[in-house]
Amino acid sequence: MNKGIKLEGEIRKSILDFFEKTLSNNTFDAVLMPMMVPSEDSYAWILVKDKNLLKDAEPIVPIMPINAAKALKRYTRIGDGKFKIAALMKPCEIRATIELVKLNQIKLDDVTLFSYDCVGALPMQDFIAEPQKKGTLFDKLLKEQIYNSDETKPVCQICDKFSNCASDLHFAFENGNVVLISNSEKGDKTVTKMKFSPNIDLKNWQNNIDALATDKKKNRAETFELVKKMAEGFDNLSETFALCINCHNCSSVCPICYCRKCYFDSAVAKPNSDVKMMRAKQRGGIALPLDKIMFHTGRMAHMSLSCVSCGLCSDACPVNIPVAQIFSYVASQTQKTFDYVAGENAGDALPMKEYKLDEMGELGEMVKKAEVQESHNE
Amino acid sequence: MSDKIGIYVCECGPNIASRVHIDKIMEDLAKLEDFKDKELVIKNHKLLCSVDGKKFLEDEINENGFSHLVLAACSPRDHDTTFINVCKKTKLNPYMYRIINIREQCAWVYSDKDVATEKAVRYIHAGMNRVLYQKPLNETELDSNPDVLVIGGGTTGIEAALSSAGENRKIFLIEKEENLGDLTSKLKELLPRQGSNLNVLKQRISDVQNNKNIRIFTNTELESIVGFLGNFEIVLKNKKSDETTELLVGAVVMANGAELQNPQELTDFNFQNDDNVFTAQEVEEMFSQSDKLTLRNGNEPKSVALVHCVGRKDLGYCSKICCNYLQKIAHYINEQSNNIEITEFYKHLCLPNKEDQEYHQKITDKVNFVRITDISLCGTELNLTKINGENSTLKPDMVILATGIIPAKDNPKFAKMLKVDLDERGFFNEAHLKKDPISTNTDGVFIAGTTKGPAGISESILQAQACAGKILTQLIPGQKIIPEVMVSEILEAYCRGCKTCLDVCGFGAIYFDEDKGVSIVNEAICRGCGNCVGSCPSGSIRTKYFTNPQLYQEVKEALR
Amino acid sequence: MSKLLKIENNFQDTIKDFLKNLLENKKIDGVFSFRKNTSNYGLITDVKELENIAPLYPLMPANAGQLLGRFTPMKEVIAVVIHPCEFRAFIELAKREQGSLDNFLLITHTCGGVYPLKVNVKNEINEKQYWASVEKGEIPQNIRPTCEACEHIAPQNADILISTIGEKNDVTKLYLNTKKGIKFAKYYNDNLVKKSFEKENLKPLLEKKNIAKEKLFSAITDTGLDGLIDIFGKCVGCHGCNAVCPICYCTLCDFDSFNYDYNTPILEKELEQKGALRLPPDTLFFQLGRLSHMSFSCVGCGQCSDVCPANIPVASVFKKVGEKTAEMFSFIPGKDVKEPIPVMIFKEEEFPELGE
Repeated sequence: MNKGIKLEGEIRKSILDFFEKTLSNNTFDAVLMPMMVPSEDSYAWILVKDKNLLKDAEPIVPIMPINAAKALKRYTRIGDGKFKIAALMKPCEIRATIELVKLNQIKLDDVTLFSYDCVGALPMQDFIAEPQKKGTLFDKLLKEQIYNSDETKPVCQICDKFSNCASDLHFAFENGNVVLISNSEKGDKTVTKMKFSPNIDLKNWQNNIDALATDKKKNRAETFELVKKMAEGFDNLSETFALCINCHNCSSVCPICYCRKCYFDSAVAKPNSDVKMMRAKQRGGIALPLDKIMFHTGRMAHMSLSCVSCGLCSDACPVNIPVAQIFSYVASQTQKTFDYVAGENAGDALPMKEYKLDEMGELGEMVKKAEVQESHNE
Repeated sequence: MSDKIGIYVCECGPNIASRVHIDKIMEDLAKLEDFKDKELVIKNHKLLCSVDGKKFLEDEINENGFSHLVLAACSPRDHDTTFINVCKKTKLNPYMYRIINIREQCAWVYSDKDVATEKAVRYIHAGMNRVLYQKPLNETELDSNPDVLVIGGGTTGIEAALSSAGENRKIFLIEKEENLGDLTSKLKELLPRQGSNLNVLKQRISDVQNNKNIRIFTNTELESIVGFLGNFEIVLKNKKSDETTELLVGAVVMANGAELQNPQELTDFNFQNDDNVFTAQEVEEMFSQSDKLTLRNGNEPKSVALVHCVGRKDLGYCSKICCNYLQKIAHYINEQSNNIEITEFYKHLCLPNKEDQEYHQKITDKVNFVRITDISLCGTELNLTKINGENSTLKPDMVILATGIIPAKDNPKFAKMLKVDLDERGFFNEAHLKKDPISTNTDGVFIAGTTKGPAGISESILQAQACAGKILTQLIPGQKIIPEVMVSEILEAYCRGCKTCLDVCGFGAIYFDEDKGVSIVNEAICRGCGNCVGSCPSGSIRTKYFTNPQLYQEVKEALR
Repeated sequence: MSKLLKIENNFQDTIKDFLKNLLENKKIDGVFSFRKNTSNYGLITDVKELENIAPLYPLMPANAGQLLGRFTPMKEVIAVVIHPCEFRAFIELAKREQGSLDNFLLITHTCGGVYPLKVNVKNEINEKQYWASVEKGEIPQNIRPTCEACEHIAPQNADILISTIGEKNDVTKLYLNTKKGIKFAKYYNDNLVKKSFEKENLKPLLEKKNIAKEKLFSAITDTGLDGLIDIFGKCVGCHGCNAVCPICYCTLCDFDSFNYDYNTPILEKELEQKGALRLPPDTLFFQLGRLSHMSFSCVGCGQCSDVCPANIPVASVFKKVGEKTAEMFSFIPGKDVKEPIPVMIFKEEEFPELGE
């Protein structure tokens, strides 16, 4: 295992100092980091070029109002830039970025990705309602390195991928120290440019993280057993989404949902009157807005293979439906079918885009078995 | 302009008329609620596809000035084009019409006439709903490109090039090696006694180099290709200089040849490089260069074994030419010295060509022919099972192996690029074994020579000339081609450039615009298969004549 | 001159019976209403299903105007029971060719307001308390802030207006304001008298509402750039407000289109000029765009505030800006389908004061 570089100071200061230096010595031209908004009850992503503005930035934020991958996407989708930028984000945002790279929505040529050990994020609306109180709470979680607080979002509580990931560099937190780890060639280049000599042993830190991850994985499996009952079968799904008003906030904030016009928002979902009347007459009545469950299952079909469990969907739901948990559960099942883990490795091809001559042989077996069974029954 | 819809029900002789109530169909169509306010003309005819029928239809369309047309008849596979051509003679755009299959899908699948009738009415109703959402589509014309790309500068490729080159037809011949030529350059003579191959080949190479209608690219490989007959966009790449060349051609001849199997890869054949075990190819070279057969130490062998069907068990097919050339080698050895003992081991002897038998007869008393079922080699010791079941061992001074012909290593790469099938052996697959042996499943891509399987020189030349023949008749200079009209189109306003459609397009018909960050369909190449439509998560792609609203109108009726 | 039909029964049962009658006798082809114990509206064609409707229920899962606007012209007629702001939104859509009035028999009521969605999530809707306030002519507690401030509670251009505010729930007064309304009412009961709705009776409540409105508006201290940056600083750009807004009918919002999909060099230029760049860009620009595109027609339904994930009081801002700009043109959204939208007409002489 490679070694890390110790950065002096407490978390916020050491990270800001580090990035300030990178701007000063032209390692990077700009850094993407959160900053508090004027009303002081939320955060926004700011790409900072002027290092004097960096002091107002907040590297580790208590909430995730916008997934960093989405912010990055608007900057690097088309056109060739000249600036080299660094982007600091949570591990699930890194995973979302990796998926968007595969979907041709982000180009990482000029971007160096930084991640950090994440204690989780607080539910956004709770923070907005009481920014001071929640801010203090978050600072405590960070200081005391509490990774399983039940104050964080439900998806954060069951997240076992809260530490090092597919970023280029990672800020590890150990006993109040910040240790910078390089994960890639790009990361090594940064280390070289900053004239660092990696010499910190990471074994203890890694063991600690592994132990925490094991606990969280168990928690995740247990939670999914409960979520299963909410998600499987049309009746259960209908009940779970009974209060859904079809506002599509969940897909709007989802980093993976990249379509300019969602299929389930297009003409397909808005049939003419004769079709509406025909459907109403067939059953004596139909619910409007139409086809809520089709929207959700459709969204599952379209994006669950890339779902990174960031939880923005639950944050954005105006009627508090636990969308993130449902989708995380379904995603775990669909991803397992293709032996695919979203966001882990830029080299893994998206299952739906890859054609294999021999695939899902077990389905063929199942069909054969069923046919044999049928002929026996006859 | 208000809608006037023509609805014609074809009786197809007795085929439809005897299985449905034609009158009832027409009555029910006239009574449809949702077409109450539309002008309809509903008629029937005995046989619309007949000369009479087509004239009738043409006159009806002209007299009535229909805006839309629905024909209830047979399967589109049978007569869609027939009726499109009728429409073309009138003012009605052929894409404002739809054929509804009430024969295979109604009349022919129900024994109950009433049931068939009801279904026919619903089907036609669905078609009537659909045509109202159809839009006129216009055909465009492209100049068909008469030029040809020949891949492979060996005997076959050169023949194809020389046979098809002309004033109005340029040939681009590409060869991946430094020089033109092939495995046959190593042969001393052609069989039987047709002179030095080297001379013939040299002459042919000179002809092709001096032909002003043929442009030769050596050290060059095919980088990319999209298109179809009359309309291919090609990119070539020079391996040495990395320079690329873009070309337009109308046809491609695959003549990249084959390879010889390495017998050391076979488990039954074990020998070292310094053993006196030679491939027939090596022996041919020996005779070509020194006119003498010798062992590795330079001495003449006293006994030689010629082994046929080497690797036949592994490959599972016959390499066709080995029996012939082993005869030649036997002749050479015998000419060299009467005292060399020659034994030929064979599983099957295949001598079908003119003069083969005669040539073979001349050697039968000088060679010991032994028919076997199995053979293995260790050094120069052969262990074999004769046809009568007897086991035997022979240790001659020299063993000569006739190795199998195997597909070129590049074939899978070419297959993917050209979108052509390979057969189970890995050779290029013809469109039809008997009826279309040098075409492929991609229009405009032809195959000749050993690239499609073991073949001799005369067979390869025959195939090369056949390709030229096809090209001459199918690609006439000055001819126009009409690309597919029912193609897909991507709504630029909605595309986010994720390239999923690009990945699933089987024809390479979608390209990516870097500046706009969107995918665009090349309408000249698109075949309207619809794969891209299904793959786009936001539904930003639609296929003309098969748009969502059109299909929906049809389906809606079926689900009523 | 309007007519009045008085039925000796409570509001819910009267409406249900009226609709049942029309549906049974095939005078209408369907009913559009909120459904009991659900979070959606229903388009109902079977009389039996009418048992499950809750026509005046104080909850708005979607602005019905938006849903009605998606009905293309049809020969069937649907009876619709909706809140006034939904009705007015539909009128605004009809002005823009996005709604077909002929499709519907439009029934609305004098509205006490609806509850925010989250109140329903917490199961805190107290129907008894609600209707008691309505009867007393008071503003019910905990309803949407824009409902508290809403003064357009008795549209006179709906086919049928049911009077509930200040009325005891044992007699239902159906005011028939159009020929269509009179025609359909007659199918049910031809005991009609000539009488118009008396707005005077609502005066005390309207005064209370005016005070609530002033309070709502004054909470938005600054609608200049600084003020808006403060309010919309935490906007996450989800466009949920636009998705649920009945007036926002564009198939693809301009701000989601190519026009705002900058390439990296353009953004780099801005980054160089300003030293920092907010990503994604155009958060405030979107709000300003939406204000300029639709605020005239804003009916203050409050749907936008309810769905905002950042709890921004979008509806209050849009209602304030919308009302004040509409005032400049003496325009009231939803009042009359024939009243053209100010930005769609050209007057040779307009805004003389600007000239000075």
